[in-house]
Amino acid sequence: MAERLFIFKRFERFWHWSQAVLIVVMMLTGFEVHGFYTLFGFGDAAVYHTTAAWSLLTIWAFAVVWQFTTGEWRQYIPSLRNVDVMFFYYLFGIFTGASSPFHKSATQKHNPLQRLAYLAFLSFMSPIVWISGLLYLFYPQWPAWGVDNLLALEWIALFHTFGAFLVLWFFIVHVYLALSGPVAHLKAMITGWEDVE
Amino acid sequence: MLSISRAAIAAWTVGAALICASAFSATSPQPAGAVASSADPAAASGVPFNAATSAEFRKGASTADHSRFRELDKEFKSGPEVTKACLSCHNEAARQVQHTKHWTWDVVNPENKKRLGKKNVINNYCTSPISNEKDCMACHVGYGWKDGNFDFSSEENVDCLVCHDTTATYRKLPGDAGHPVYERKEFPPHSGKFVEAADLKKIAQRIGKSGRSNCGACHFYGAGGDGTKHGDLSSALKKPGKYLDVHMNAEGLNFTCTKCHQTSGHQVAGSRYQLPAAEKGAAHIRGKADAAPEACQACHGNTPHSGRLSLLNDHTARVACQTCHIPEFARDPIGTEMSWDWSTATKMGPDGKPVVTKDSAGRRAFDTKKGTFVWDSYVIPEYVWFNGKFDYKAVGDKIDPAQVVKINRPEGSPAGDDSRIWPMKVHTGKQAYDKVNNTLIVAHTAGEDDTALWHNFDWVKAIGAGMKAAGLPFSGEYGFVSTEMRWPIAHMVAPKEDALNCIQCHSPDGRMKNIGGVYLPGRDAKPWFDWGAGVLSVLIFLGVLIHGGIRYISTRKGV
Amino acid sequence: MVKIIASFLLGAVSVTALLWHSASSLMFSERVSPFGVEETVARIQENMQNAGNGWSLSGLRNAAKPIQKDGGNVLPVLMVEGCSTRYSGPILKDDNLRFLSILMPCKVSVYKKNDGKVYIATMNAALIGRLFGAKVGGIMANVANDQAKFLEFDASKPAPKMIEGTPGAGGPGAGSGADGGC
Repeated sequence: MAERLFIFKRFERFWHWSQAVLIVVMMLTGFEVHGFYTLFGFGDAAVYHTTAAWSLLTIWAFAVVWQFTTGEWRQYIPSLRNVDVMFFYYLFGIFTGASSPFHKSATQKHNPLQRLAYLAFLSFMSPIVWISGLLYLFYPQWPAWGVDNLLALEWIALFHTFGAFLVLWFFIVHVYLALSGPVAHLKAMITGWEDVE
Repeated sequence: MLSISRAAIAAWTVGAALICASAFSATSPQPAGAVASSADPAAASGVPFNAATSAEFRKGASTADHSRFRELDKEFKSGPEVTKACLSCHNEAARQVQHTKHWTWDVVNPENKKRLGKKNVINNYCTSPISNEKDCMACHVGYGWKDGNFDFSSEENVDCLVCHDTTATYRKLPGDAGHPVYERKEFPPHSGKFVEAADLKKIAQRIGKSGRSNCGACHFYGAGGDGTKHGDLSSALKKPGKYLDVHMNAEGLNFTCTKCHQTSGHQVAGSRYQLPAAEKGAAHIRGKADAAPEACQACHGNTPHSGRLSLLNDHTARVACQTCHIPEFARDPIGTEMSWDWSTATKMGPDGKPVVTKDSAGRRAFDTKKGTFVWDSYVIPEYVWFNGKFDYKAVGDKIDPAQVVKINRPEGSPAGDDSRIWPMKVHTGKQAYDKVNNTLIVAHTAGEDDTALWHNFDWVKAIGAGMKAAGLPFSGEYGFVSTEMRWPIAHMVAPKEDALNCIQCHSPDGRMKNIGGVYLPGRDAKPWFDWGAGVLSVLIFLGVLIHGGIRYISTRKGV
Repeated sequence: MVKIIASFLLGAVSVTALLWHSASSLMFSERVSPFGVEETVARIQENMQNAGNGWSLSGLRNAAKPIQKDGGNVLPVLMVEGCSTRYSGPILKDDNLRFLSILMPCKVSVYKKNDGKVYIATMNAALIGRLFGAKVGGIMANVANDQAKFLEFDASKPAPKMIEGTPGAGGPGAGSGADGGC
């Protein structure tokens, strides 16, 4: 029996998609500044990268407030329960046409593996990218802050690039898994509603 | 304080008018043969300027019309006589000049007390004025410095006119120990060209603020020819187009030298011995006493870019303004000398006589007196960390002949906050040195006596005489050693559209390829990391492709 | 069938792309000069004057000058222009070929790049000539031969003086070619 569930609220969807666009822009411009290719031109890439960074930070500020005021932050509380079930599903079950062992609901939006992945994204990848990125951005202020003898831009840049690669890897797997599931999942991220059996 | 701001305002108005281009006027040791001509003060400044009709009101002109002073209404026989007349009113002027390095040619490095200044250091061109004063002092702001016994306390020997002549007729020639031309004379010798005697009365009655040609008479022609020494200074700056210098642009801002090199009590701001290499903070308020008025930041501050370009302000903590805004120096066919090899000097032409040849652009290429020269124009600078100080080789310093001798070594490092990445002209060459004592030598080059290199072409005699004058030992054995000298580039600021673009530095093979100690995005990726992360990215991508492939195949079978 | 057409089209497109890509290097060639800008120009001028076959200098054009006049900077670029009446005459006499005057005078460009090196660029006269039939092809093959000689430098010879403008003509560049070649 089909049921229509309202999973993703308007802000959540806005947050997701604006974040997606900005992250793609930042990856494209960031890897250009790093010297991998020429797309926008170095100067424009650097300007876009910085602008996107501030935009994303702004959106995140709203998102953090939203997560806590709505209590949605609980969606990211990790649990090892059923992680193995999910893992084996992606490893074997998915090939046999078995349906996902996880059943989405408004209070359980993410499967256990997703919870772990998103938590890793929030607590590990993001800090690496943001801390290194902001230090990078404020490099001219290092002497004034008295940290110019403690930090080396070379290593900050390396950390930042490392963070960027983590995001890229997350992006690849995330997009793949999103596309591998039923179309309903994608629709939920766009309209907010998901048809659940 | 007052005099600084007054000087600034006056320099802008009056000073500009005085680009009555004294052209080659005062002192060019090796003038290119031409005499100033195209000096039209009205065209240069837009201010009508006519010294003869003093009744006419001239906006921004001096408060004194010198042509009406009785003190100047007489036939002067010599420079010192004119100076005495000047000093009868300007009674502090000579003493002020005597406290400048324009007069002393002697500078003490406050840090290590080492004596620098033209009198004490060796340069990579004519090397040293010692024993060659009669020629070299054509560019001294005085009269009569012909040997080691010059009286530096004599006020009447201060040359007022060389900096204040506005008629472009006051010339000091090599050989006269700083005196102007008193009698019509052929110069260069045997050239068939003549320099007229200076009309000292007329010149004295028309003196004014120093214009570009006054400063340029020496600073454009340093090392014996137009553009030779600095690379960013040549006669092209007398009346430059916007392309060459946005500030001095004759049809635009039309700055004189003293607009930046603000002068107070004859102390000219700006020195190669202590250069403000890393100015910080906002633009200075006019008249601020402790500011370095010649630094770009004095007017522009340290965050001059705005709007879309404001990201560029992040560079000012590391990069000197000059690095991007003077993308090439000697941006004029006059060019600049890049190398002077003394080791080929004394080589005669095929007929056994001294020979002089020119390069394809008409610049000196070889001279039996001096050796071999290499020139270039539109030169891409070398970039170095620089804190404004040089470690100079002074006369008598030891050298290691096995290595290239750095005549001056720019100090500075990426550590700390006192250095910036600066553009430099690198001038190479070969100089004679004492093979036993391992010192660079002082040679007596100019003169008509038996020991002068340019007269007798005998190195041993010339070095012997030069070292004796310098009070240094000479073993009698000489050789030639490779040398290098660096010149900070700070003039010929290009229009902003012509500044370096990002990837000219932010690329592996860009202009910053030899700059260490700073991480440059686009240049300094770590290949091991990029390869590792890149391969991993490909593997992950392949992983999801394979996962998807298996899924596609298996589910199709299942269905 | 669809596969055959598709692969044919793909082949055609890729060949066109390849030609398009290599066209510039086929039509023009660029090499590094061992000398500075002025000396390179002077040596080419000297070679041109000594080349025989009716060659003479038509002028020296400084493409950087007008940009400077407009207040901008480009690195030096000088174009040595020369012409041989022996080759230009037959082409200019033929009404069907007179349009080829746009290829005249023969030009060698000397310029500096951001790496600080001086480069020489020439047009591949032989290849271009072949596009216009046997007569032009034959003439242009000779031009190409002579052009190769312009770029043979003997570094042991002293640097000649660069000739600005056109010998025997008024000013440099445009218009002054009247007395100086074609």
